[in-house]
Amino acid sequence: MEISRDAYRAIEDIVGAENISDDPAFLDSYAFQWLAELVRPENSHYMPRPWAVVLPATTEEVQAIHRVCNKYGIKIKPISTGWYHWAAPMKDNEPTIQIDLRRMDKIISIDEKNMVAVVEPYVTCAQLQAEVMKLGLNINIIGAGCSTSIVASASTYFGAGPSSYYMGNNSDNLLGQEWVTPAGDVVLTGSLSSDCGWFCGEGPGPSLRGVTRGNMGSRGGLGTYTKCAIKLAPWHGAAVLEPQGPPPAYRLPIPENTRVYTIGVPSWDAFAETYLNIYDNEIGYIFHRQFNLAGADLAPALWLTYLRPDGTMNDVETASKDPEMQKLADEGRISFQIILQGRSVDEVKLQDKILDAIMAKTGAYKVGRFCEQDFAEFTHMYLQRLGHKHCNFIWVGGYMGSWMQAGIPDFVKNYSPVAIDGFYRDQKQSDGLVQCGGDALMGCGSSISGGGYFGFEQFVSYDPNDKASVQACVKHMYDAIDDCKANGIPLGKEYIYLMIGWPDEQIWNDFSKAPQTFVLHFQRKIKEHFDPRELGDRNYPWLPKGMGQPNFITQS
Amino acid sequence: MALEDFRADAMRCTRCAYCKWIPFDHVKSWKYAKGCPSIEAGKFHSYSAGGRLVTALSLMDGRSTVTPAVEDSVFKCTMCGLCDVSCKLCRYDMEPLAAMSELRATLVEDGHVPAQVEPILKSLRTEFNMLQKPRAERGNWAKELGLKDLSKEQAEVVFHAGCRYSFDGDLGHVAKASVKILKQAGLDFGIMGENESCCGGRAHTMGHRKDMHTRATHNLTAWKKAGVKTIVTPCSDCYHAFKRLYASTEGSEIQVLHMVEIVDQLLKDGKLKLTKAVNKKVTYHDPCHLGRQGEPFVAWNGVEKKIFGQAVAYEPARPRYNGAFGIYEAPRNILKAIPGLQFVEMERIKESAWCCGSGGGCKETYPDFALSTANQRLDEAQSTGADAIVSACPWCERNFLDANQEGASKLEVLDIIALVEQAL
Ligand SMILES: Cc1cc2nc3c(=O)[nH]c(=O)nc-3n(C[C@H](O)[C@H](O)[C@H](O)COP(=O)(O)OP(=O)(O)OC[C@H]3O[C@@H](n4cnc5c(N)ncnc54)[C@H](O)[C@@H]3O)c2cc1C
Ligand code: SF4
Ligand code: SF4
Repeated sequence: MEISRDAYRAIEDIVGAENISDDPAFLDSYAFQWLAELVRPENSHYMPRPWAVVLPATTEEVQAIHRVCNKYGIKIKPISTGWYHWAAPMKDNEPTIQIDLRRMDKIISIDEKNMVAVVEPYVTCAQLQAEVMKLGLNINIIGAGCSTSIVASASTYFGAGPSSYYMGNNSDNLLGQEWVTPAGDVVLTGSLSSDCGWFCGEGPGPSLRGVTRGNMGSRGGLGTYTKCAIKLAPWHGAAVLEPQGPPPAYRLPIPENTRVYTIGVPSWDAFAETYLNIYDNEIGYIFHRQFNLAGADLAPALWLTYLRPDGTMNDVETASKDPEMQKLADEGRISFQIILQGRSVDEVKLQDKILDAIMAKTGAYKVGRFCEQDFAEFTHMYLQRLGHKHCNFIWVGGYMGSWMQAGIPDFVKNYSPVAIDGFYRDQKQSDGLVQCGGDALMGCGSSISGGGYFGFEQFVSYDPNDKASVQACVKHMYDAIDDCKANGIPLGKEYIYLMIGWPDEQIWNDFSKAPQTFVLHFQRKIKEHFDPRELGDRNYPWLPKGMGQPNFITQS
Repeated sequence: MALEDFRADAMRCTRCAYCKWIPFDHVKSWKYAKGCPSIEAGKFHSYSAGGRLVTALSLMDGRSTVTPAVEDSVFKCTMCGLCDVSCKLCRYDMEPLAAMSELRATLVEDGHVPAQVEPILKSLRTEFNMLQKPRAERGNWAKELGLKDLSKEQAEVVFHAGCRYSFDGDLGHVAKASVKILKQAGLDFGIMGENESCCGGRAHTMGHRKDMHTRATHNLTAWKKAGVKTIVTPCSDCYHAFKRLYASTEGSEIQVLHMVEIVDQLLKDGKLKLTKAVNKKVTYHDPCHLGRQGEPFVAWNGVEKKIFGQAVAYEPARPRYNGAFGIYEAPRNILKAIPGLQFVEMERIKESAWCCGSGGGCKETYPDFALSTANQRLDEAQSTGADAIVSACPWCERNFLDANQEGASKLEVLDIIALVEQAL
């Protein structure tokens, strides 16, 4: 659909000519997205090209852009750091303006006493963490790592990470937002709306957190968040992280009040029991099954090579054949990383004792090589900052997470073997996927604030430069869905990804069979109110009137 | 290489944006987390390594064409290599800097040369320097120093001053200080004087590879004739050109040493003693071409192979340039050996250093961009409480001096060799 040049000029008048572009190559740099090849026709690496990209500097500019979009019927799609295909336009026939928020990059305030920071969308987790650590505070960095926008994970998509176990999920840590609705209104949520500052996400004014955020988030489908307040957590480490050594495996010395371990367990039952005991005893600062992203068969070969600045993938291949390495792979087959941090040395000693007792009870053990100083310091750096998350793509640049289901430990221990068997089967059926063993399950110790509920995802690595490999990954996604259905397990992330490639009717048809369609009808009403011209895209899910069961939760 | 050889890099780019930031582990503040001068200036994603990979792909696939905006995004980059370090923190199958270099060269081949570059290239081709100075004045700095002229005599070591130290009046004293140190160490060396030619490294990073080839041929022939086995230079741009570019494109095996390596060794061997106090508080700026891009060259001619089904390795193993083995300690050892000198570090150092803004031809092509990039570095240097910023490259120093004139910084700009001379 052709858009009048008047619209372009109107936006240009708002931000200045240097802050808007419709150069095709520039637009392609926004359309080009990780994972696009799994869902787009012909396995194209491009999501739909935006009509133009604009760089606003203030909330007022965002609001004015939204208003122009309303006038001309242009879809709105915000992007922060842009590490997810959700940030791109979703449909080819919907002219969309990409609102790149990189000029809105300020930390507005850090309230040390009340443990709240207020930030703009282009503040990364790394930046805020570095600043709040100087005050003895920390932030929950999502599993995607510290390159991501805090506003994105808190306001609009997901929000769990290795530290959620201790610091909460960012959907809960969200303490208020400044929201420019698709219609162009500026709405303040939480206590902010009553002029009481940013301290509480739920009022005294109207609580809109459920509307704007919910569990998964609106993923750019419901306007632009221009600021958010995020809850901070205590930090008992150094004011400034001082990593040591050459790249890539920087090491963070472990202070006296901290312990860093890789813990192995003999079975999934023991895993669940160990997890529950750790959770019950309220020990631990960071809990993650991190290094298994490389696959349990290959993890030791990869990570011990990674420690060397000159190590290559050829060295990984050689190492993987070393019987010692294979022994280590078996030792760490079902393992996880845990960081204990005490307010004092005595406290961490106590946590250590408790952990020892738990391990004695469950048969867990420390994986010796991974607890040696070099690897422990590397683990410490990796997990405190989460600055190596691009390692998710370390094998070949393509990774898709399948089987991303969360639940209580018993649920996880039951689905893990199914996920492992299915993935192993698919690896053996074609050489399109990286053969890393069936268990590449990775995930953080909590998907909700407070712990006790968590999940893994399979790290399916494929080559985006090889169509057959891409297609093997797509096949695995469908296989995983079938495996879920066959085993009575709710569908995972691969299902949400695949939907991107579907027409509206197919999505609505599926939604209409959802167990509680009233949610999607309620969301339609929200959309009608805040986005009457439907300028947000379908990342904010809803159902047209009359589709699906008009079911409601009945009061007993 | 051709642009098509980088298709896989582009296809495997995950748009993670690590290339816009210093290695995250080293982030110590909001302000100095940024790593890429280009995206700071250009703002759109295309002004980043990841963005340029997409541009390359888009052009190759005929999805877009070279517009003035594309030209601007391709050339407004200092080729500092920070992106390369940050990307390779996690990736073994990506060469973003090499890909960006190829994209530039391709645009140049196709006739897309920013207008500002023409007179500079003309000067390079006729006067053998990029500063638009007469060739005949090149050796002036060494007149009356009584140095061996290797266009007539023989020596195993040639001292190469480089264009900036030869012609830039504010910096010529560094060349003199260098030869004073070499003499004091009893080294048998000479210079090429008027016959010294630009290394061509800047032309190469600007995409004009044939021009570097011509300069390299000139230099290598002259050195061979003079029996030269080792080149010593105080210029990090030349150092990188000789050590990495001549080695990779011309097959040169000549030993290349930066003055800081020589001084560091002389100090370790006790052949040089720094006795005079220099009572200053200084910070050190790592030049990109000495630091992260100053790693030794390893010849490689191989192909991609798949291991574990789909993971990428190379046959034979591909050398890994990730900034781990740059020249970082030699200058720091020197500064620490100067009596009275107080040395303080900035936040972004070594492989994480913020570029001075001069590289990639930006000093010549986009002077405002070069200066704003320098100003950001001076701001960081000032935040340490230092009185002076020290570097080991005349291009950094020139750009800092120029930025100083316009900006708010009151910092003294010093060359490390000049400091050593003060301490002798
Ligand atoms: C490799 C990888 C691993 C991941 N693992 C995790 C994980 O463990 N835990 C987790 O929580 N998440 C994870 N994610 C998803 C992650 O939460 C999101 O990608 C995150 O929000 C990214 O931040 P960003 O700055 O890159 O956002 P973007 O990619 O810029 O945007 C993400 C979504 O939010 C929307 N959006 C961004 N900014 C705004 C704004 N200001 N206003 C309105 N909408 C906006 C976009 O339109 C898009 O839909 C992972 C992602 C990747 C790529
Ligand atoms: S070039 Fe490397 S660091 Fe930059 S976006 Fe691509 S993969 Fe990430
Ligand atoms: S070389 Fe330097 S300026 Fe150019 S893209 Fe990389 S980091 Fe940015």
